[in-house]
Formats: sequence, structure tokens, C-alpha cells
Amino acid sequence: QTILCPPRSFDYSQKNAVLVPAAALGVGGVLVYWLTSRHKIKTIEMGDGWWGSGERPLKGKEDESIRPFKIETSDKEIEDLHRRLEQARYTPPLEGAAFHYGFNSSYLQKVVAYWRNQFDWRKQVEVLNKYPHFRTTIEGIDIHFIHVKPSYVPHGRAVQPLLMVHGWPGSFYEFYKIIPLLTEPARHSLNEGDVVFEVICPSIPGYGFSEAPHQKGFDSIATARIFHKLMNRLGFKEYYLQGGDWGSHITTNMAQMLPQSVKGLHLNVVFDNKRGLRRMISVMLGAYVPWLVGFTREDVRRMYPFIQKNIYELLRESGYLHIQATKPDTAGCGLNDSPVGLAAYILEKFSTWTDKSFLHKDDGGLESKYSLDELLTNVMIYWVTSSIVSSMRFYKENISKGSLTADARVGVYVPTGIAAFPQELAHTPRTWAKEIFKNLITYSYMPRGGHFAAFEEPKLLAEDIMHFVRKVEQL
Amino acid sequence: PFCSSLTGIMLLEVFLVLGAVIIYFLLYKKKEETLPFKEGWWGKGQKPDTEEDTTIWPFKVETTEEELSDLFRRLDQARFTEPLENSCFHYGTNSVYLRKVVSYWKNQFNWKKQVEVLNKYPQFKTKIQGIDIHFVHVKPPRLPEGQSAKPLLMVHGWPGSFYEFYKIIPLLTDPASHGLSDEHIFEVICPSIPGYGFSEAPHKKDFNSVSAASIFYELMLRLGFNKFYAQGGDWGWLICTNLAQIAPNHMKGLHLNLASVTNMGFIHLLSILLGRYLPGLFGFQDEDVRRMFPFLEKGLYRILLESGYAHIQATKPDTVGCALNDSPVGLAAYILEKFSTWTDLEFHNLEDGGLERKFNLDDLLTNIMIYWVSGCIVSSMRFYKENLQKGIGTQKHERLTVQVPTGIASFPNEVMHTPRAWAQKKYTNIVSFHFMPRGGHFAALEEPELLAEDILQFVGKVEKEQLWRKT
Repeated sequence: QTILCPPRSFDYSQKNAVLVPAAALGVGGVLVYWLTSRHKIKTIEMGDGWWGSGERPLKGKEDESIRPFKIETSDKEIEDLHRRLEQARYTPPLEGAAFHYGFNSSYLQKVVAYWRNQFDWRKQVEVLNKYPHFRTTIEGIDIHFIHVKPSYVPHGRAVQPLLMVHGWPGSFYEFYKIIPLLTEPARHSLNEGDVVFEVICPSIPGYGFSEAPHQKGFDSIATARIFHKLMNRLGFKEYYLQGGDWGSHITTNMAQMLPQSVKGLHLNVVFDNKRGLRRMISVMLGAYVPWLVGFTREDVRRMYPFIQKNIYELLRESGYLHIQATKPDTAGCGLNDSPVGLAAYILEKFSTWTDKSFLHKDDGGLESKYSLDELLTNVMIYWVTSSIVSSMRFYKENISKGSLTADARVGVYVPTGIAAFPQELAHTPRTWAKEIFKNLITYSYMPRGGHFAAFEEPKLLAEDIMHFVRKVEQL
Repeated sequence: PFCSSLTGIMLLEVFLVLGAVIIYFLLYKKKEETLPFKEGWWGKGQKPDTEEDTTIWPFKVETTEEELSDLFRRLDQARFTEPLENSCFHYGTNSVYLRKVVSYWKNQFNWKKQVEVLNKYPQFKTKIQGIDIHFVHVKPPRLPEGQSAKPLLMVHGWPGSFYEFYKIIPLLTDPASHGLSDEHIFEVICPSIPGYGFSEAPHKKDFNSVSAASIFYELMLRLGFNKFYAQGGDWGWLICTNLAQIAPNHMKGLHLNLASVTNMGFIHLLSILLGRYLPGLFGFQDEDVRRMFPFLEKGLYRILLESGYAHIQATKPDTVGCALNDSPVGLAAYILEKFSTWTDLEFHNLEDGGLERKFNLDDLLTNIMIYWVSGCIVSSMRFYKENLQKGIGTQKHERLTVQVPTGIASFPNEVMHTPRAWAQKKYTNIVSFHFMPRGGHFAALEEPELLAEDILQFVGKVEKEQLWRKT
């Protein structure tokens, strides 16, 4: 024993001299990695693009000027429209069909009579021009947007820049009623207005007055990048985003691309393509033990009966999506040539996506929520710009690649607010939304309203946006 | 006493088992029940109390200067959208090519001349179940001694018309003049499906393939035919199939150039997964494997890519058809796309969609003009909703089999291939099944000789053995 004693103590101290620092390094290393990886947010690649015609010019910098723009019309344009409205050929609906076979042509004739005789496009053009419009060239195409600043800023209040993105078959015009509530809340008796915005509403390339891409592959990620460049060009470093329909995808992509520029993301619809066994199980269990899978009573009310609402009804309403995602040039051809056909196609969505029960009405319930003037103004934007085909191509560019689901894997880390409207096509419960939106600040069940939230319920949406932004600003 | 009761019990057991077996077979045989004739009344408003007028009156296609000048005005004012660079037909009908078609339409196509072409075969109308049914009825110009003409009903589909048969009719009514055997000569009846072309569109909901089959059944009876043959592709396939299920005793034979299977089951799924590796196990031939696999690409993906039109027409026909009834250019784009892709899927890689390789513009535009002048595009699309709205594979007739002698001509460029192994689960009496060497969906218009030859050999088989008597 005594012979072994001295060597052991010597080995022991030698081992300590090596092992302890090594262990410390190892633990320290793991700790450092864990700390940094927690804050390492995954982002989407920004990439680059060129969408003008022909080859991208090698020399010369892109013209970055921002040019004021005004919508114009002419006698020729109006006469051509009137001639087409007068020569429209209708097919009488089946007896008792209401809106079950699509847009009822008996009601369509009434709409067209109004369009031909009472609707005043020149007056509507003035309405459209009441907000300042601009155009600027980005990645080879002209991007159109409106930029509305508050006319009066209370002392000491910060003005938050807010980018609002429309969808299909909408346009920048959908925001015309909500803009004043956001730029001048006090004047519209909204909550003391400690949050005031300057609003930027661009037109997605291929929609309205934004030039359509000439090259294939223009998807939601390209749009997100272009809109970031736009905000940058306008001098904004940090801004809020709001979107529904395609706008929801685009703003979500923007938040994933440059989270440091996005102060907050507000959505009025969440697309959730996650499938898988876990989801299926939670759907099945959710009907009986909703609390177990994180569903609220309101979630259950909106989502069930599941097969009926989420499969049958979605199939019934997604024919347009299927044909536009595969043959947009075919689907849009006739619509670009027949304003009556275009109106039927677009207004059908404003009926069914506002309230599913409108299918049973002979007039599609349209005038119970909207005025013909505003509905037709939106249709006219597609008509005078001949943008229906390019607007439909957006479906093919986004869906054929399966890029709709790509963002789900990356996740969204910026502060997010969701306004869930009851008549939206599909309901995403908070538990599911949180799987993508890791930083969900607000989630509100809206009392009424459908897909075209900004158009139909501007006050409700504005209040939720402000409620969300107030919370973010307090963080 | 004990023995006899035991025997008694055993006998009872035997009878019970026998009884159960007999009952089972009776119930099993129920799958071969006929489809009931579908009564209906499709006219406007209330059905009148009076007896239906059963006269058959001659019909001629007509046109007017007004109709032509209206068409030209619309062609002149057409608004096109430039295609994306290098997109060919991948995004649908290429508008650069469409402009050329429209230019031909305005400057060279002669509708008055085409109307005369349409009128070269005798056409008639008659009222059935409240609506006017249009049909072409062509009798043979000459019959050899002792022969009688066999009645043949040929039914078109979407976006086709009775005009698709104009090239094949002479091969069937006068085969000798076209180098074919005249052992069997036909008188051909080509009706227009209600809601298509010159047949009145139903005014009531729920007019589906069984309704059309019932109406065509009445038509054949009204024309005095007790026994007839039927031929069809696209919707014509389904209508003729339903007709065979409604009136098997009247149908001597059923010939199809499309034989879809809508009632898929576990076996089908298994054969999709394993059929490539164990074709023999599932009854697949080499040609079946060549046409069907890889399944994801040739089956599922292709169906998804090509079925957008069916999805929207089965849900919102009045919406999608509205513009097409108002813009002849839009109508042409929509219909021509099918004549391109369904003739050869590879055509979508061509800037002109390969349309003029297999068809001439006069024929294509004549078919489109039938939809235009009759204003029937919306009603033609409603047929999709009436048939598909409850989903595929859910209707009663889809579960019933067909015992009528059947001949199938399987064309290689059909959008999706159905192997014989699957077809014979529904068509239990397949007399001939041939892989055609070339041709696509619009077989009668594209490959009339091939199709006529297959019909003739099929009828030959049926007649030789008088197969209709055995059903």
C-alpha cells in the first residue's frame, strides 16, 4: 500500500491538470453553443431577381427614382367598356340555383345594368386618386404603391410605418376605408390614437398598376424581397406589416427574410399546410376533448364538423385555385376580353368568401355588405390594367413549387398578431398558429367578418391592428 | 328416436347452410342488377298535362349576317395578354399562337361554308322529357343484297360535339368505299348531349349522365331500333355505359375509346404501389406498365395538372362559363388547350401547342363555333357539376357492373391509362381490348380509321357468336 501511494497521488494531480480544464472547456463550449443557437433565428434567403423583358442589362444602375403617379381614364376606354357591357351574352340560371352553380346570371344582369348606366368611372378614378400614388422600378419592373401620411401628428407621438399587402381578387383599393382609421384614428373616434401610422399599400407585381413580371418564377418570396427594397428605398429601416390572402404569405415571407426590419406582423388569415399524424389526431380528439389539444370552444365552433368545413367546403371553393395554379393563361383569357365575365368571376368570391350562407341567395348577398360602386371599382382596376392573367399566374408560380409549405419549416420569430375572422374560409386555432409564429403577441376572435376584412370590417381590423401594435411598442 | 332427432338436426343444419349460401349468392348477384331508367322533365316551368309531342322534324344549321358580323366585331376587339418568356403552353394556351388562330378565324375561316359541311348529313330534332334533342342520322348510301344496316349510337363528350364524328361516319356507313371490309355496315346516330350544341339545355337541376342515357334510350326506341350498338369516349363513355346498364337487352355491344375506373379500392392502390415490380400478379401487361408508371408522374401528378378545369366546372360552372359565352377568343383558348394537351401531353412544350399537327384549323374552329353560336358553354359545364358534385365513386351506377359485350380501344395518349385488369372489374364481358398504336383523347377526329377498324372488328366478334344473346 505504502509503495503505491506516492505514484497514485502524482497521477491523480496530472489527470486533474488535463481533465478539469478539458471538462470546463467542453461544458463551456456546449453552453456557448446552446446560448447562441437559441438566438440564432433561421431566415429565408433574400436572393435576387430580374423580371423585366429580355436580358438583364449588365451596365448601368437601376433607376431608383420614385415618380408620382395618377390614374387616368379616357372616353375611348369608357366607350369600349360600355360597348362590351351592352353586347354581353348571358345564360339563364337553372331554376332554383341561387349561387350554387356560381354567379347567378339574372343578378349579374342587374349589376351590369348599374355598371352601364349609373356607375361613374371618372368619379371613381378621382376617388382612387385622393391618396398619393407613386411608381418606382425595382428588379426591372415598375412597382405601384400609395403612400398616405397622417395629416396631423399629435405632439410627441411616433408615426409607425405600416406596409399593407392585398391579395387576389383584391387590390390596394381594399384598404381605402381602413387607411383613414390608421392615419387619423382620433378623427374616427378610435382609441385615443396613441398609435398613428403612415400607410404604404403596394400592388403586387402583376396586379393593378404594378407592372407584370415578364419572366417565369415570380413568387411570394420575390415579392417579399421587392417590398423590402421598396421600404428601404422609402427610407424605412423598421416597419410593421399587415396582410391577408396573398398578402399574408408575402408579409410572412418578409418577416422570415429580414426579421430585424419587421417590428411586427399582423395577419387576418393564416395559411397552415401542416399535415401529419399529430395534426390528424388533434383534429379527431379536438371534437371530443378540445381542451386536451389546446382548442377553445370558439375554435371548435369554427372548425367542426371538420370534414364538412375543411374538406368538403374547401373542395367546393377551390376550383379557381386549381385551374389558376395549372392553366392561368387559359383561365384568364376570356376574363380579359369580357368585363361581364370578369365581374362574375371576381364578385363570386366577394359573395362566398364574405359569408358562406350567401350561396343560398339569388343575389349572392353582395349588396348587404358592400356597395356596387366599391365592388365595381375593384373589378375596374383589373379591367383597365388588363392584369387578370398575370394575377392568376401568381398561383402557378407559388403553388407548383410547393413553396407554400416552405415557410412553415423556417418559422416566424417577429412579434405577430392574428385577427381570426369567423367567416374566413378556414380557421387556424391559436395552438396551430403558435407552431409557426413563435412570438405570437395577440390572437383575437373577431365577432364578425370574412375574407376581405379590410374592405368589409375596417373598424374591427383597425382596432385589432392598433391593439397589437400598442402591445408590441410596450415590449 | 334419438337417432332420428340427431339426423333431423343434421338435416336442418345442412338446409340452413344451403339456404344461407343460396341467399348469399342471390344478394351477391344483386351487383348485376340493372340501373333504373331515370324519369325526368327538363323543360321550363311546370310540366304540362298534355301528352308529349313525339314527332321528329328535320333540322338544318343556319347562320345570319348579323351572327357573323357580331363574331367579327368581338374578334377585332379581343384583348390579349403577352405570355411569359419561354412559356410555350405550360401556363395554358399561348396567346401569341392564339393571335394567329384568331387571324385565321377572321380572314380565312368561312363559317357559311362550314355550315354547309355540317348540313351534309341529315339532322333532326325531337322533344324528349321536355327538351329538344338534336341528332345526326346517317344511313348507308348502299347496302349489299341481304344485308341490313346495324344501328350505331355514337356519343360525344366535352369540349367536343357531334361534329367530331364527321370523319368516321363515312367509314362506318360506307366502309367499302374507304378500303374497309363491308361485312358490317352501320346507320349512325350522333345526338348532342342536352346542354351541348343544338340540343336544348335542361332548365332543371340534376341532369346527369343517367338522365342523358335515359333520354338517348328513348330516342333509339322512338327511331324504331330495338337492338343497337353504342360507342363513346369522354362523357360519351359514361353515358353509353349507363345506357348499357339501363337497357342491356337492347344493347348488342358497347364500344369505348375511354374506360375510366371511378370505383377504386384497396386492390387498385396495391396494384399502383406494386404493379411495376409484380405486373403479372395484378394482370398488367408490358404496355400497361409502360403507360402507367412511374405512377406519381404519369398518374397522380398528371391528373392534378390537367384537372383544374374539371374542378372548377364541377363547382362553379356558371361563373367560369360566363366570360367564355361572351368572348369567342376566350372560348377558343379554353377549348383549344384541351385539343392540344389531350392529344399529346408533350404538346405543352411546343409554342403552338402542336394543334395543327393532328387537326386542321377549320375542324377545330367549327367545333368551337358550335359552342359559340348555340351559346351552350355554360350548360355544357353544368354537366360536370351534376355528375361530380357528390364526389367521384359515390354514385350508385358507379358500383354496378356492365354485362353487355364490350370492346375497348385504348389510345396511348389518353390522359390516364386504364389497364384491362381494372376495366374488367366493371365491364365483365370484355370481348376485345386493344392497345392502339397512336392517338389521344379525341380519337374519332384524330384517328378515324384506327377507331373505325377497331369498332368493325369488335362488332364482327359480337355478331359472329351472337354474343348479345348470351347476356
